[in-house]
Amino acid sequence: MGAPYVHPEVLVSADWVEQHRDDPKVRIVESDEDVLLYDMGHIPGAVKIDWQGDLQDQLVRDYINAEKFAEICARSGIANDTTVVFYGDKSNWWACYAFWAFKLFGHADCRIMNGGRQLWVDEKRPLTREVPSYPRTQYTPSEGHEERIRVFRDTVLEHSTSGKPLLDVRSTKEFTGERTHMEDYPQEGSLRGGHIPGAVSVPWNRAVNADGTFKSVEELKAIYEGEVGLKPGDNIIAYCRIGERSSLTWFVLTYLLGYAQVRNYDGSWCEWGNLVRVPIAKGN
Amino acid sequence: MPNTLDSIIAELADADRQERIELLIDFAKNLPPLPDRLAEFKDAAHRVEECQSPVFLFVELEGEQVTIHADAPIEAPTVRGFVAILVEGLNGAQVEDVLKVRDSLIEQIGLPEILGMLRVRGLTGVLRRLKAEVTRAAIARSMGDSAPSTGSA
Repeated sequence: MGAPYVHPEVLVSADWVEQHRDDPKVRIVESDEDVLLYDMGHIPGAVKIDWQGDLQDQLVRDYINAEKFAEICARSGIANDTTVVFYGDKSNWWACYAFWAFKLFGHADCRIMNGGRQLWVDEKRPLTREVPSYPRTQYTPSEGHEERIRVFRDTVLEHSTSGKPLLDVRSTKEFTGERTHMEDYPQEGSLRGGHIPGAVSVPWNRAVNADGTFKSVEELKAIYEGEVGLKPGDNIIAYCRIGERSSLTWFVLTYLLGYAQVRNYDGSWCEWGNLVRVPIAKGN
Repeated sequence: MPNTLDSIIAELADADRQERIELLIDFAKNLPPLPDRLAEFKDAAHRVEECQSPVFLFVELEGEQVTIHADAPIEAPTVRGFVAILVEGLNGAQVEDVLKVRDSLIEQIGLPEILGMLRVRGLTGVLRRLKAEVTRAAIARSMGDSAPSTGSA
């Protein structure tokens, strides 16, 4: 065994989840790209929270407000002191995105199930189609941590101009500008291809193993510190296409490596690549 | 519009939200496997570029009659279910009938309500690709090329 993660408590194993399935202080939440997966079978006791249908405002491109968030928690049986464990498809992209959104709203105890949905399925652990219902909770909206974990375009521009660390976690072809959208995601494209000047390319998937679990501290440090040259105290902004893959990188840097100042640009390339007159760099 | 697709549309349109989810999952589970002779052609030429998940479409014509084979991963049940609806609904239909299917099919079967607008756009790509493949096969045939489009890889 190598060195432990800096905040090992935020990452739980599938075994831990099985042991805490009936723990009233724990709520398991599935968050997926494919919205039908939960209905095909989920971890017994898990509820579904969809980033698009539940957490996004349906009119303005933004997250819902704190009151709506409190309502989602209340109906899902999540109280302010509940331990919320997220898991999902695609190596936990959307689980990390939901985790990040819960932190935006200031929820205290959030965790990720290492390996996500696919590993659970591959290990032939129990799945059910039964949708649980929990007694409604009282959920008090709290202050939230938006300024600590989320940035908007003006800050990103300032970050780029002053040469502070920017991580582009999209695929290499998106970074160089060869593609204006992620391979196979043309519906979230943009008018211009390339990257934010000064950004370094570190595709999100370098942080995970083939089975969807996170790499070890040594492996992660070799990438983010050895190759990229980041330091734990750096003021870092990560971005991708709409902010879901970069929330995985944000999770890795913040919790597994213990970096104190990492923020996610959730406008990401879908916004930057469509903005008039912002600087863009192409190639490597 | 061909009768089979019509009855699928009617069934889905009458269903409530949860029933529609169940039906889509059933379609996804029941998509027939690709015949062995086509499985080796799961390559870029038969892949639907517009779609988030690896979706493969194969179109064959016998006279005016269209045969569709398709594959998509079970880990992406939404697109697999939609592909299965097209396969079941349009297999054996006439070229003209396939080309008459409109993008609004996706609204008719109530998918935006389940999936949200962002997610259904990839499905439109599958339908358009299917129609493009049928058109291509029909043109190839009218130019005297009798080889099935699946052989072109």
